[in-house]
Amino acid sequence: MKEAVIAALALVLGASCIARADQVIVLNSDEASYSVLSRGLRTEVNRLPIGREPHHLIPTPDGKELLIASTITNELVALDIVTGERKRTIRGIIDAYQLGFSPDGKWFVAAAYRLDHVDIYRYDGDFKLAGRIFIDGLPSHMAFDSESKTVFVTLQQSGKVVAFDLETQLIKWNTEIGKAPAGIVMLPDGKRLLVALTGEDSIVTMDPKDGSVIGRLKTGRGAHNFWPKGDGRHWFLSNRVEGTVTLIDTQQMQVVATVRIPGGPDCMDITPDGKELWVTQRFLRRVAIVDLATMKVSGSIPTGKSPHGVFILKAPALTPSPVRAASNEPAPK
Amino acid sequence: MMRTVIDLWVGAQTWLFETFVSPVLFALNLMEWFEPAFNAVEFVMLGVFQILVILLVMRVLERRWGVESGDERLIGVDRVYTVLNKLGIIPLLVFVLAYPITQEIEHLVRVMGFTPPSLERLIPGLYDNALLSFLLYFALYDLAAYWLHRAQHRFGWWWALHSLHHSQRRVTVWTDDRNHVLDDLLVNIVLAVFAQFVGVQPTDFVLILIVGRLVESWSHANIDLPSWWLSERLLVGPRFHRLHHARADVADPHVHDHNFAPVLPIWDIMFGTARFGEKYRPTGVDDAEVDADNDRGWLGQQATGFKRFFAALLPRASWTAQRR
Repeated sequence: MKEAVIAALALVLGASCIARADQVIVLNSDEASYSVLSRGLRTEVNRLPIGREPHHLIPTPDGKELLIASTITNELVALDIVTGERKRTIRGIIDAYQLGFSPDGKWFVAAAYRLDHVDIYRYDGDFKLAGRIFIDGLPSHMAFDSESKTVFVTLQQSGKVVAFDLETQLIKWNTEIGKAPAGIVMLPDGKRLLVALTGEDSIVTMDPKDGSVIGRLKTGRGAHNFWPKGDGRHWFLSNRVEGTVTLIDTQQMQVVATVRIPGGPDCMDITPDGKELWVTQRFLRRVAIVDLATMKVSGSIPTGKSPHGVFILKAPALTPSPVRAASNEPAPK
Repeated sequence: MMRTVIDLWVGAQTWLFETFVSPVLFALNLMEWFEPAFNAVEFVMLGVFQILVILLVMRVLERRWGVESGDERLIGVDRVYTVLNKLGIIPLLVFVLAYPITQEIEHLVRVMGFTPPSLERLIPGLYDNALLSFLLYFALYDLAAYWLHRAQHRFGWWWALHSLHHSQRRVTVWTDDRNHVLDDLLVNIVLAVFAQFVGVQPTDFVLILIVGRLVESWSHANIDLPSWWLSERLLVGPRFHRLHHARADVADPHVHDHNFAPVLPIWDIMFGTARFGEKYRPTGVDDAEVDADNDRGWLGQQATGFKRFFAALLPRASWTAQRR
């Protein structure tokens, strides 16, 4: 009976085709679709088509839209950030894999992972290409400095992190740091970059001024992607090979908790109340929900094939500061 | 129910990947292949499934209603081809060789601003109809394969390779994978580029391959089953495809140049190459040099195929292709 009620509710919600503020968007990167999940019902209520190979998504600086990037079809689709309604399509953003807005909201950067280039756009609601930098080595994740002058991009194949001046698009520094660097975040003090080494079992700390490596912390095999807990001190890290998510205290630089998430955990988002962490399980075609009070998995929701980016739609009152780079900057609170 | 099947399937795929493949990629610093390797595990699992279908269904039917009898030993080498292909060994080799080429083509066209089209954009409403979308992509892919097959028979150098497939005197459900690796490489490059340009979705692409390959295995079956006028024209079956493998003779020297379609006979009907309702005939080629493949093992056939190919490329071909 309970299942029947849930199914009926899911049908009603699905039929509306409008994702509401308690819902979660998950990109099915191998299916050219995205799933709309209900946080309350803990089920998929709708699956909608999108361009091919959607991997990541990001809110616009004004906090009104959610941009979904489809890498193969070279486009961004903008959804209303509250309702999930489709608003516009921006074409010609080539192979946009990872995405980021600078903290001042004036720069948009897209890393073309397959095509080996980094595109820097001036952003004022529209996208104007300022420069395209071809660079070998699978450009991947990115972070910005707080002055919005520099973007730091990891190169997974060549094992490097490279810093680009946003205004001139010139390279400031280029440092080799280890095997398959992926996730990268700028800590709130502005003096440390954390970089996850997917080809190893560690993260490294870098000085954003010159790219020198100043520390290393063992986390788990396949250290891949960061997500902030929201207190400015703790960050979650997915370890794709080991199948775990670790919680890192960035002041003490130590691992304070680890939770097992099987199936190649990847992108994450945290609920506005800070109680749950949602993690995509790429291989299992599911999203895991971690109860942050107990640091245990409290549920797992089926999605489409290879779920990658995940975003929890927030109510308007909860989105005063939406600026963040996809998957690696502080979540709006 | 469906979700349970998916969970079991991806659970097995994840276990295989995390137990056997992921540690190797991690140790060899090949993490950029993490996702493709996971998909490759699915390809191998589907290959095992296909082998089981061939063994447990198709071979049973073939034994019960077989048409031709003869030297069973001739079939052995085709089993080797099937296992090498279905378990991903030949496809991996082909992928390694083809990847730099297809990647370079993709780089060129996409950096120039070309966006691969998709049927969903051309046909409104297709987004919401997964089955129709799949069928349309399948038909397009099959059309491309039809013309590729014609090219394999049309050009002397390509026939030098493809003749290996036709040399089998005991065509059975195992014969579909009997191809020269260079032939496989050429076909895969063309179809991969075609898929990029037409916009076949990755998920569909795997499904298209598997459905297509099962039908193609079946169409090689040494079997005589009753068929109806309509069914013969809807889907390629053993009767239709066996004529394409029929041994040419003086009375019918171009019998191979008919019934090219891999899955959908409509292409042969549309382009005037279809022949229906004919009697079963012995299979193979009427070229003694190519027919000698039947006395060779896998390695010998591959080596001879290379010889024939290079000979056919020479200005005065020392190997004259008899495209029959």
